[in-house]
Amino acid sequence: MSLFSFLGTLEIGFIFGLVAIGVYLTFRVLDFPDLTVDGSFTMGAAIAAALIISGVNPYLATICAAIGGAAAGLVTAWLNLRFNILHLLASILTMTALYTINLRIMGKPNLALIMEPTVLSPFAALGIPDMYLKLMFIAVVVILTGLAVAYFLNTQYGMGMRATGANPRMAQANGIVIKEKIYAGLALSNGLVALAGALFAQTNGFADSTMGIGTIVVGLAAVIVGESLSGSRSMLVIIFSCIIGSLLYRLAVSAALNADFMGFTTSDLNLITAVLVGLALIVPQLRREQRARKAAAGGTL
Amino acid sequence: MISCKAIKVTFNAGTASEKQALRGVDLEIPQGEFVTVIGSNGAGKSTLLNTIAGDIRASSGKLMFDAWDVTRVSAAGRTRDVARVFQDPLAGTCGNMTVEENMALAYGRGRRGGFKPALNDDLRDLFRDQLKRLNLGLENRLSAEMGLLSGGQRQSISLLMAALQPSKILLLDEHTAALDPKTAALVMDITDQIVEEKQLTVMMVTHSMRQALDHGSRTIMMHEGKVMFDLSGKERSQYDVKDLLNLFAKARGDNEELDDAKLLLEA
Repeated sequence: MSLFSFLGTLEIGFIFGLVAIGVYLTFRVLDFPDLTVDGSFTMGAAIAAALIISGVNPYLATICAAIGGAAAGLVTAWLNLRFNILHLLASILTMTALYTINLRIMGKPNLALIMEPTVLSPFAALGIPDMYLKLMFIAVVVILTGLAVAYFLNTQYGMGMRATGANPRMAQANGIVIKEKIYAGLALSNGLVALAGALFAQTNGFADSTMGIGTIVVGLAAVIVGESLSGSRSMLVIIFSCIIGSLLYRLAVSAALNADFMGFTTSDLNLITAVLVGLALIVPQLRREQRARKAAAGGTL
Repeated sequence: MISCKAIKVTFNAGTASEKQALRGVDLEIPQGEFVTVIGSNGAGKSTLLNTIAGDIRASSGKLMFDAWDVTRVSAAGRTRDVARVFQDPLAGTCGNMTVEENMALAYGRGRRGGFKPALNDDLRDLFRDQLKRLNLGLENRLSAEMGLLSGGQRQSISLLMAALQPSKILLLDEHTAALDPKTAALVMDITDQIVEEKQLTVMMVTHSMRQALDHGSRTIMMHEGKVMFDLSGKERSQYDVKDLLNLFAKARGDNEELDDAKLLLEA
């Protein structure tokens, strides 16, 4: 793997670290499997790209992208909470609607950002080579966001959100308004994912209507890989495991694609992803079964 | 003072499966009183408890916490005044959060959750002091995951949690029913201790007549959605389980229910 592609892999790994944090918030914290992210990732990229092209400041455009994603999350939460639509289905509905909305935002299936200003433009004067600058910028943004989310989950409000997912009845008995936490959690999660989309569009120079496909699987893969690394209950460790999980996942995929003897091409990406996620899910289960068998065998002695 | 005035609760009103769970309950619980509630299955004990908690809305009647009419207030809106311990030891705590995090959640009951860290060293000291009273060695396990503790330990912590903030009423819903007899006795001891110390107003639903008479200062028996009798003071202290059964059979005026009553005795 060349240095260039290695740095690119890390950069995308960090960006999807944001997606992993978002997925962690819904799947694990709120116990609300949310597939909206496939749409909100693209939405973030679409809003950022469209606004930047129309002359809006890239930072403002990025903030608007995150707000757009948060709004998408609110729609999913509303469908689920107000109309009792199953969470999975509610999120698929939003995701489907977003596909069209994203096309409308962009006006065409893809937008190029090659010559446009981006969030990186103010740093161009520093004279750091582009490929290092991108990675450093993204890493700083993602690490700061990770710290903020970990802090948030340890506040009274954030702890209430965790209780909402872990034991709604107990949460309610302690005065936590469950619906409010689910709205807030989905908005935050999808806001982060849209932020990731906006950063992706600006570092990679394009937004495309199909770029969000599979976001949920990648995010989930990162969460699962991260979880298998650490057994800690500390929020800081868990959130950073998500980011590290995302980096490792990207490196694994990149290694598989680069291993010539295996003969994979980029079009095999989805199969590789599915196999990696599958392994991350299967191995812990097999280990549990093995341990249970050993314990049972030990018991008969 | 908690007062129920002619509270009725009807489930599935207007359908074939309509059920009148409470048929006009009048009950006043003065501050500092420990009421035990007994009754057979379907008598309305849990419905009454859940109505006070706000999980179930009264179809008619009035529920007052002192001068505050809470009849139409949501469960979440009442939590400042209502503390609860559930029957299922797993229901009152979050298994995937630590002991101190669970206690911090209960410490925030009735307060609006802010964006300050939920835990700090002062709170940890407070929690440690509280846990010491249980004599279960839990004061050294503040950062242990709740899911690793036994049902009895979790239920004991639930009790402490319920008493961390003041309440107008503590609702105990058969909170020892899912525990083995020895642990149940321990949890009842802790209950008495905490109630005594904090001068709590308590309503405890139980299946055990023995427990109903041995604890608290007043016993009510419910039957078919109504308070059938209400014992307190000297009269109550002279009662035994057998007397309760007789009273129950007499009030019912038939023998059919005796089987049901026997079941209660065994439980």
